[in-house]
Amino acid sequence: MIIFENLEVRYGATVALKGLTLSLDRGIIGLLGPNGSGKSTLLKTLLGLLPPASGGGQVLGVPLGSPEAARLRSRIGYMPEYDALIEDTSAYEQVAFWGELSGLDPEQARDRAHEVLYFVGLDESRYRHVSGYSTGMRQRVKLAQALVHSPELVFLDEPTNGLDPDGRRRMLDLVLRVRAELGTTVVLASHLLEDVERCADQLVILDRGEVKAAGSMASLRKALARRFELRFLEPLGAGLEARLEELGHLLEARNGLYDLELHDPDPALPFRWAQAAGVVLVQLTPRHDRLDEVLIRALHPDPAEA
Amino acid sequence: MPIYAPTLPPRPALDRGDPPALVILRFDLKRMLRLKLGRFFGFAFLLILLVECVTLYTTHLMGTSPALAQLRPMAERIMPQGAAYQAQLLHPAMTGLLWLQVALVCGGLVARDTLYRIRPLLYAHPVRPLDYLGAKALLAAGLPFAIQLAFILLPWALSMAVGGLNGPVWPTAPLRLIPAALLNAALMGSVALGASSMAGSPRAGFGWALGILVGSGALSGVLSATLGGDPRLLAVGVANLTKVWPQLLCQVPTPTEISLGPALLGTAGHVLLWTWLALRRTRPGEAAQ
Repeated sequence: MIIFENLEVRYGATVALKGLTLSLDRGIIGLLGPNGSGKSTLLKTLLGLLPPASGGGQVLGVPLGSPEAARLRSRIGYMPEYDALIEDTSAYEQVAFWGELSGLDPEQARDRAHEVLYFVGLDESRYRHVSGYSTGMRQRVKLAQALVHSPELVFLDEPTNGLDPDGRRRMLDLVLRVRAELGTTVVLASHLLEDVERCADQLVILDRGEVKAAGSMASLRKALARRFELRFLEPLGAGLEARLEELGHLLEARNGLYDLELHDPDPALPFRWAQAAGVVLVQLTPRHDRLDEVLIRALHPDPAEA
Repeated sequence: MPIYAPTLPPRPALDRGDPPALVILRFDLKRMLRLKLGRFFGFAFLLILLVECVTLYTTHLMGTSPALAQLRPMAERIMPQGAAYQAQLLHPAMTGLLWLQVALVCGGLVARDTLYRIRPLLYAHPVRPLDYLGAKALLAAGLPFAIQLAFILLPWALSMAVGGLNGPVWPTAPLRLIPAALLNAALMGSVALGASSMAGSPRAGFGWALGILVGSGALSGVLSATLGGDPRLLAVGVANLTKVWPQLLCQVPTPTEISLGPALLGTAGHVLLWTWLALRRTRPGEAAQ
């Protein structure tokens, strides 16, 4: 669905994306990273708004920067991060306008605008000027314009920005419905871990224009979850504690409990190490990482820095 | 509590739509017609047009009615027919008001999109920079052209109706005045577009357009005065050009300030400069920043 090969994008002399190589399948793809990590730049590049400085890629089988890329945009929906709303018109008028621009005939665009505004829960207020809308309603208009032509792929850039917890929940429910009911592949760019954790089945972690980690959520957790808690029958002496570094990085030692990040996630290795050291390992507990721990580890491979 | 639809109907066909430039043009025209400002100018232009038509008909009555015949010599002094009269159909007062309207209404055409930040979203659709700028340019030039057309055709049609083919009004007047209106519209549209592309809000767009109008006029005056009163340099001023085109194309016998060559050069220079600027300021890379 989306493939990059050594993609590099620059703003003048500044390198915004550095050598991205990725392959992403259908589903909900979470694009996670701190502010300024290159998420929006990546979306704009995929839309053809920014040309690649080197490398390339494909979206829906169409090469980036090729002449067909302009026509490809009718198969893509884009919900920008900022308020891209035409304030002096109603939600209905502008959603119909975006539909027409995507290739719908005027009558079809008007019908579709009604349907999609109903889908996002703006049925009753669709004739009001958007300048009088709340933040949640504005976000839903942006989502409606991205969906009006039923795209195969939709880019949602920080869709929950500025929303209260209830508004956020509703927006994420809509994102899940877009995938489940319309079959649209969603690229969800966010700096909010909970949003991505709730919706995404694939994850790309970006930092300073580089991919720090990528893959399915399950495999990513598995690959990065190397943290175990070890308890021995007797507390280890100073010498043995130092030898624990053979197994992994010792994060914390308290009351005979050793919090360890293993070099190799194979859980058999600590038992072998204990046997070799002549101590009895009585407890080995994997620390089931939350996404925030995965993210922090991806962004800061050195635990001391994290 | 919002009410959500069960789901959306199947995907519609995406190959039946109108060209993007036409979609943008139609949408902007709707927005423009809703502006209260448009009604004010509409009223002002209608009033001017009405006065012109009434004057014309009264002149005709003076020529045909014995009761009013004694007023005819006076009428002929006030409104001599011929080339000067034809050129006067697009008189400087009307074009001045038109400049003001174009600055106010069209100065916001691109600036409004910049203010609402919708240009990146436009380019995220199958829209090319030429579609976008073409739609804006057509609207910015179309508005002054349509208004000028009314000022050319209505008095002319009335003259032809009351005076006939052998009356004092030339039957070929539109053939001379419509090209002048087209040149003026291209000039006004490109200036408004360039001004609007430099502005971050419609108000700033109006300011820029007015600045170009007044600034180019002042510059042309200063240049002409500094360089020995050369009238060709007056072609730097956009208002001077709109004033001179009807006179040039109607071949008014009294010498005009700017001759055909400098007028062509000045008009082409302004149209190219402001269109090029608008094109640069509205390209996708600019919108993506």
